[in-house]
Amino acid sequence: MAELRRPRLGHACTAILRRDLTLAWRQRGDMLLPVLYALIVISLFPFALGPEEALLRRIAGGAVLVTVLLAMLLALDAMFRSDIEDGSLEQLMLAPQPLALMLGMKILAHWVATAVPLIVIAPLLAGMLHLPAPVVPVLLLALLLATPLLSLLGAILVALTAGTRRSGMLLALMLLPLCVPVVIFAAGALAAAQQGLPWTAPIAWLGAALALAVVLAPLACAAALRIALDS
Amino acid sequence: MPAMTSEPSATPLLEARALSFHRQDEPVFGPLDFRLDAGELTLIEGDNGSGKTTLMRILTGLLRPEEGQLYWRGQPLSWDRCSGEVLFLGHQLGLKAELSARENLRFAVGLHGHREHSDIDNALARVGLAGFGDEPVRKLSAGQKKRVALARLLLVPAALWLLDEPYANLDRAGIELVNGLLEAHIAHGGAALVTSHGAVQFHGGEPQRIRLHG
Repeated sequence: MAELRRPRLGHACTAILRRDLTLAWRQRGDMLLPVLYALIVISLFPFALGPEEALLRRIAGGAVLVTVLLAMLLALDAMFRSDIEDGSLEQLMLAPQPLALMLGMKILAHWVATAVPLIVIAPLLAGMLHLPAPVVPVLLLALLLATPLLSLLGAILVALTAGTRRSGMLLALMLLPLCVPVVIFAAGALAAAQQGLPWTAPIAWLGAALALAVVLAPLACAAALRIALDS
Repeated sequence: MPAMTSEPSATPLLEARALSFHRQDEPVFGPLDFRLDAGELTLIEGDNGSGKTTLMRILTGLLRPEEGQLYWRGQPLSWDRCSGEVLFLGHQLGLKAELSARENLRFAVGLHGHREHSDIDNALARVGLAGFGDEPVRKLSAGQKKRVALARLLLVPAALWLLDEPYANLDRAGIELVNGLLEAHIAHGGAALVTSHGAVQFHGGEPQRIRLHG
């Protein structure tokens, strides 16, 4: 009988996506902060390095990539914070749905709210540093794969540090080594594209890592958060 | 299978055997034995710091007991076994301050499922919040927030209610409301565990009591 009453999985997934995106929209000032940060950082490069176009063009891909990934870190530690504070996470854990799937939906909503605005302004950022137009699609593709990967890796660390106070510093230190391969592959693809070389191999590595993370990261998050609340 | 009898030896909904919990070698509560059958209300009584909330969190499965066993319908209690049949109302109400009462309840229903013949407007009216459905929860008073959380009891199907201090922040009408909800739930064959440190008046028969010592 209990089986019959179980709400359908799809309903729960849409419910959680809808709630988190509504919340993000109600607090859209917070959503703007990473975008503003990325705009400021990129607009400072020409002032610091001089307006020489060849130099800017050479660093453009890497600079945009690193700026976008760092901007994402600003919002990362808030991923589960409010849910832990107001008891929503307890309710989520007691719901008849698989916790990992529900957390996957939360990570998706968080990615949409933080990374998608950054990806949208990425062509503008690239233009500010004179990135050649044919490379822009490669940049967008690299960002489309690298940002969800960072969200997923970050979510594991946020879940692991959920029980500790002022976890921001710890989070940044733990995330650094995980960021490095993401940056290497994404920047590798951009550098290859800029030199007119084939760039699909590093993109394929990013895609493979993302596929792995999509499956494993929510499970790790669920386990870590259960431990965090078991105290 | 023979016809259902009302003898209590049938498998209890929830059973605890020699349940105890320590925090850094300090005992929080001693070995506890109790059982809870469908259609039964149990009060957990104790002073501040006597471990009522800790016991509650153990019964939800959020916290692991160090010693003793818990059985849900005769099977060892685990996450997936009782999920969807237990509704927990804790100190943290699990409401989003930026969303309206209606949006919060719609989310709860989407996540936990919908009880038959219930809808959000009726539930809001029943807990005395008619007309407040579209207010953001952060603008509501502490008592009204509690009432929003209580509306969840009307909307979400569950065999066992675990209510941690459901009377906190409520006025006299609110206390009557909680008692009414509990009576209806018990009358429909549900079970409930309620913590309180005050005197609770319950009209539907004498509840079982578990006393915790600090």
